[in-house]
Amino acid sequence: MDMIWMSLVLLTGLLILLGAGLWVAFALTATGLAALHFFSNIPVGDSLATSFYGASASWELAALPMFIWMGEVLFRSRLSEEMFTGIAPWVGRIPGRLLHTNIIGCGIFAAISGSSAATAATIGKMSVPELTQRGYDRKQILGTLAGSATLGLLIPPSIILIVYGVATEQSIARLFVAGILPGLLLMVLFAGYVGIWSKLNPSGVPAEEEEALPLAEKIRRSKPLIPVVLLIVGVIGSIYAGLASPTESAAVGVALAHLLSWRGGSLNRETFGQALMGTVKTSTMIAFILVGAHFLTVSMGFTGIPRDLASWINTLELSPYMLLLALTVFFILLGCFLDGISVVVLTTSVILPMVQAAGIDPMWFGIYLVIVVEMSQITPPVGFNLFVIQGLTGENIIRVAMAALPYFLLLLAGVLLITIFPEIVTYLPSQMGN
Amino acid sequence: MRRFLDSLYRLGGYVSALQLMIIMVMVVLQVSGRILDKALQALGMNALGLQVPGLAELAGFLLLGATFTGLAYTLTVGGHIRVDLLHRAMPENVQRALDILVTVIALAITAYGTWFSISLAYDSYDFGDLSIGMVPVPLWIPQAVMVVGLVWLLIALSDALIGLITGRITHLKDEAPQE
Repeated sequence: MDMIWMSLVLLTGLLILLGAGLWVAFALTATGLAALHFFSNIPVGDSLATSFYGASASWELAALPMFIWMGEVLFRSRLSEEMFTGIAPWVGRIPGRLLHTNIIGCGIFAAISGSSAATAATIGKMSVPELTQRGYDRKQILGTLAGSATLGLLIPPSIILIVYGVATEQSIARLFVAGILPGLLLMVLFAGYVGIWSKLNPSGVPAEEEEALPLAEKIRRSKPLIPVVLLIVGVIGSIYAGLASPTESAAVGVALAHLLSWRGGSLNRETFGQALMGTVKTSTMIAFILVGAHFLTVSMGFTGIPRDLASWINTLELSPYMLLLALTVFFILLGCFLDGISVVVLTTSVILPMVQAAGIDPMWFGIYLVIVVEMSQITPPVGFNLFVIQGLTGENIIRVAMAALPYFLLLLAGVLLITIFPEIVTYLPSQMGN
Repeated sequence: MRRFLDSLYRLGGYVSALQLMIIMVMVVLQVSGRILDKALQALGMNALGLQVPGLAELAGFLLLGATFTGLAYTLTVGGHIRVDLLHRAMPENVQRALDILVTVIALAITAYGTWFSISLAYDSYDFGDLSIGMVPVPLWIPQAVMVVGLVWLLIALSDALIGLITGRITHLKDEAPQE
């Protein structure tokens, strides 16, 4: 009873602080301070300073700014145009035709950038006007973009998986590799849906306007994409093969991204500076949230709440499926109001011990959590992809959310599939060396 | 004074950026050295054993530096995220009152954290604590960098608070987050 009362007080306090508009990192720290002060006899100030120091000096965490930087550099190159002209020739004969440029483009850019908002912006910048001009169904243009851009969170390198890995002391390399198959699975689900939809609504997809191109011509048009695809294969491949740690392959990725952007003629002092300062901003913001979350985790550990919560859940004798069902509903609700990173760090501070006590693999849980967070990216009122697409197209946020609804349900189907067949997540990591 | 403060925050951003650049260059050098060694061995020659000593630990310290020295800059460009859902629904004057309130809370937490970080750095200096890596680094150095970053943030938060109270700024800066 005591434990439930304590958790309710802390949770309410946290929600009030967040609602008042206190920055997330400070709200987490404040809750940690209150937990230590009221519910433990640990020296508060010393724990705070030690947490600040301990959580931020980390080799694994250095992968975070490096991957953000790599994405920032390529985001400012000509990738947006190249992506559309490079993919379009290949999908002209598949049902749904050019709508697939959104799905495949987002899938490729997701493997460059760990951010779903950047993915939506980069791909949408070119594909939305092009597809609209050719007479594709507006709702499907918005839906495929909003849905597929969430892949930015799952397909490695994933910023949010770095956050989860650092916060839970899981191997980031394994988490990345675990995200590959589920990411491809979601792409197949999206593409399959678009194919079926276009068979049922032939009026939404304009007739083919140009005759089939010869293979040589297709390859010629995709040529600008080849270096980027090689970069992706190199970065992810070297992690998978155990040749390089995520931080190492990310740093090399930054150097190569600059090389590509220089060869493409888009690297100059201005873009270099913008990319670097954008990296400072995003990476500082996330690292500071992680520092606050680490302190909250330590404080919660001292209060014993997560442990008590875990044993309380155990006494309920829920099956893991029931627990996951309850958590999914909880996360979707939480995700309506909080950004994905905050959802992840809150989870790791309080809920993870409970999940482990129920016998759920923490690596699998990380992938599950990211897909659920992806769903929250396209649910109003707070869905970051919705904001980006609203800014890009001028469409009302509710209309974008309605267009994205089928993709929300497909993500839910994805969660269901990895729950029934956990091997989709665990197979590739189990094949890795050490 | 205004121009001095604005340049001060920008400087924090540059110092943070510089540390990220050093991490990148050091890691690239390390990886290149390893590739060169593998190539030499494949050709039947002796490896040169080129590497950056204590890289993992140094990169960790630089990352700590980049994070803390970047705090004030990130605050002034509106990079730190917060939930603005309720906030936006409020009338103008309530928004301003809430902004003042949260700035005071953030200021108090930062001041508290700064104080105990100074004491942490002082203790490390006093006991002569060294890091455990290949290149032993006195721990007070990264810890002092952390203090510098926190003081930088204290200045930026006080600046924002005074601005809100005097009406120089009407609201805290927020930018659409890039997630």
